[in-house]
Amino acid sequence: MLLTALKSKRLLWREWLASYLFLLPALAFFLLFVAYPMLRGAYISLFDYSLNRFEFIGLRNYADLFRDKTFLKSMKNTILIVLITVPAVIAFSIFVSNTIYRKSELARSFFRGVFYLPAVSSVVSITVVWASIYDPNYGILNYVTSLFGAEPIAWLGDLRTALFAIIAVLVTTSVGQPIILYVAALGNIPTSYIEAAQIDRATPGQIFRKIIWPMLMPTNLYIIVITTINTFQTFAIVQLLTAGGPLNATSTVMYGVYEKAFMLGSFGVAAAMGMLLAVVIGIISLIQFKFLGSDVEY
Amino acid sequence: MLMTILLVMLTAACSSNNNAPGNKTTSEPQNTASGGSEATPAAKPVEITWWNFPNFQALDGEVGKYEKEMIAAFNQKHPEIKVNLEMITFDGGPEKLNVAIASNSAPDVIYDAPGRIIDWGKKGLLAPLDDMIPQDVRSDIPDAFWKQSMVGDKTVMYPINTAPFMMAVNKTVFEKIGALDLLPLDRKDRVWSFDEYKAALQAVKEKALDVIPSVFFAKSQAGDQGTRAYIANLGLSSFLKDDLSAIAINTDQAGAALDWIAQAQKDKLVISGSAALAASDVNDLFLQGKVAFSINYSAVLKAQNSTLKKAEFEEALLPFPTLDGSAPKLEPYLGGMAIFNNGDDAKIAAAKTFIDFVANDEVYGKKNLIQTGGLSVRNSVTGLYDDEEYAYSELARQFITAPPTIADGYAEIRTYWFPALQSVLLGQQTGKEALDSFAKSADEAIAKAKAQLK
Repeated sequence: MLLTALKSKRLLWREWLASYLFLLPALAFFLLFVAYPMLRGAYISLFDYSLNRFEFIGLRNYADLFRDKTFLKSMKNTILIVLITVPAVIAFSIFVSNTIYRKSELARSFFRGVFYLPAVSSVVSITVVWASIYDPNYGILNYVTSLFGAEPIAWLGDLRTALFAIIAVLVTTSVGQPIILYVAALGNIPTSYIEAAQIDRATPGQIFRKIIWPMLMPTNLYIIVITTINTFQTFAIVQLLTAGGPLNATSTVMYGVYEKAFMLGSFGVAAAMGMLLAVVIGIISLIQFKFLGSDVEY
Repeated sequence: MLMTILLVMLTAACSSNNNAPGNKTTSEPQNTASGGSEATPAAKPVEITWWNFPNFQALDGEVGKYEKEMIAAFNQKHPEIKVNLEMITFDGGPEKLNVAIASNSAPDVIYDAPGRIIDWGKKGLLAPLDDMIPQDVRSDIPDAFWKQSMVGDKTVMYPINTAPFMMAVNKTVFEKIGALDLLPLDRKDRVWSFDEYKAALQAVKEKALDVIPSVFFAKSQAGDQGTRAYIANLGLSSFLKDDLSAIAINTDQAGAALDWIAQAQKDKLVISGSAALAASDVNDLFLQGKVAFSINYSAVLKAQNSTLKKAEFEEALLPFPTLDGSAPKLEPYLGGMAIFNNGDDAKIAAAKTFIDFVANDEVYGKKNLIQTGGLSVRNSVTGLYDDEEYAYSELARQFITAPPTIADGYAEIRTYWFPALQSVLLGQQTGKEALDSFAKSADEAIAKAKAQLK
């Protein structure tokens, strides 16, 4: 009896050890490259840390940020970008997915490929193409609008258009994955539900609202959360197209982090900006889980 | 997740709290290389790292090939010193250097300009070079260059090449429209007035319909010396007070010059959308033959751009026009080498030997200068090129004035400049209002930097 209990304990211990050994590589990677830098970032955000200074200043970096007009403008821009981009990505992705998911396998693959192409292309290449499209003197966009008699516009250099020009690029580069996921999710909705509704004379709008949308909720939750997080981190497109200008009209928090840390060498301030952004993303993700998670049907 | 934040934090994580290069203790350098003379070789094998911007023209289109040849020649004389070359770009290099310094992995040697080097010197990150500069070399280099190479009484940059920053004109465009006489190329000093410049722009607008008369840019910091000198000369002002204690460009005349640029953009005399264009964008257009004037050029850039030209045309260097046609004030390009104090005396000594070779070797000294396309900082070294434009560049050295790069807080001052330009180009402020706002922020930055240095 005692021997059996001991054997059983040893077996449990081995299982426990083996499971943790399997976890170890991922855990080590997480601790070293995610957890430690995050904690270290929180730590250095309390310091006046530049190329030759490292002095504890408590929460002064945070206090300064709340008085920094450029940072506040960047935060406002970032939130505006998220508020426009996320719904636009969801709406466009659902529209495209709904249009193509009933088509032949060949057509579906073609459209999925077309829309996924920006997701697998280099951001730099895409941005270079967009820069030439937006070019005020030689760009194709101004050429097209001039055919309708419009005056040329400096799309990236005009306060009225610069942020929307960035958002347009962001939307086109963000729809690839959502379309793939929505096409798959739509394909999983039993056709019998839709056919039954059609027999009951439900309109296409009612079918979408009452059947398709609720059945898409798990996919929605994932896409909304991931797109929100990614959009909050908008950086490369801004850096390459506008460098945050004109007059900080397109500056984002992530661009500000880059500018403070790598251009000005103010690592403490940059870390504080990063921590604030992480807190904002965390809060919004929690809210999204709270309000959208309860509707998820598995 | 949050890759850039992680990068910032990893950078911080890689460094220790107060272990920046300048904080490392090191005894007095042992090797005293001397200008023009054979340097004493380091006793033991030493390995040093040299980060280099594309300061030398690419050989056979390969960036870094010339530097490798130079290192091979250096190693024939100093086989005990291994030089590891890493080429960095003007776009990403400065950021890479900041990260390297903050994470205690700065290179040993850098070839750069005073804008960054003096800032590092003020932060105590560089090794002094005074012991490798004999009196004959010191007296052969004008004081203006030493001012840009020293912090207090310590030399932190070994000045090597120079050229005044100027404008450039696509001479071929003016030949084609029969308006070459509108350019001041027949005058020995090529000095010209704002009105003459306007007439030249108007001629291009009217007769060369596929060419944009001139450019301006305000997207980012790179090339800001071009916009500074352009406005200062059109407005007959100086960027800084002579003692570098405050901004001086916020005059009515400079404000009017900036207003003119904004209006000229609307009148199609200046490229559209300049608030969103960078110096590299407009220089690309110049090299493509699409614009008549570039406001950011020099003999060095002419050499660097020679392989990048996308159209056949002849360019000529011009000084910035001034409001009344008086002598212009030009900012100098100055290139030189500096040594990061990484706390290793042997590396510092080896780096000095290498710098001495780059600047003073009897064969490679001149060869290197020519490969940069620049002029020598030494008064005694002239006539390097058999070329009209270089001869003019040498003559234009008389117009060089003290550049703002040595002002305290210069790195921060620069960050306020292009938003001020953008606000005028976008009609948010008048030229004077924008320059006043800029002066207020920049003066605060100067005062803050001075306080931090105390």
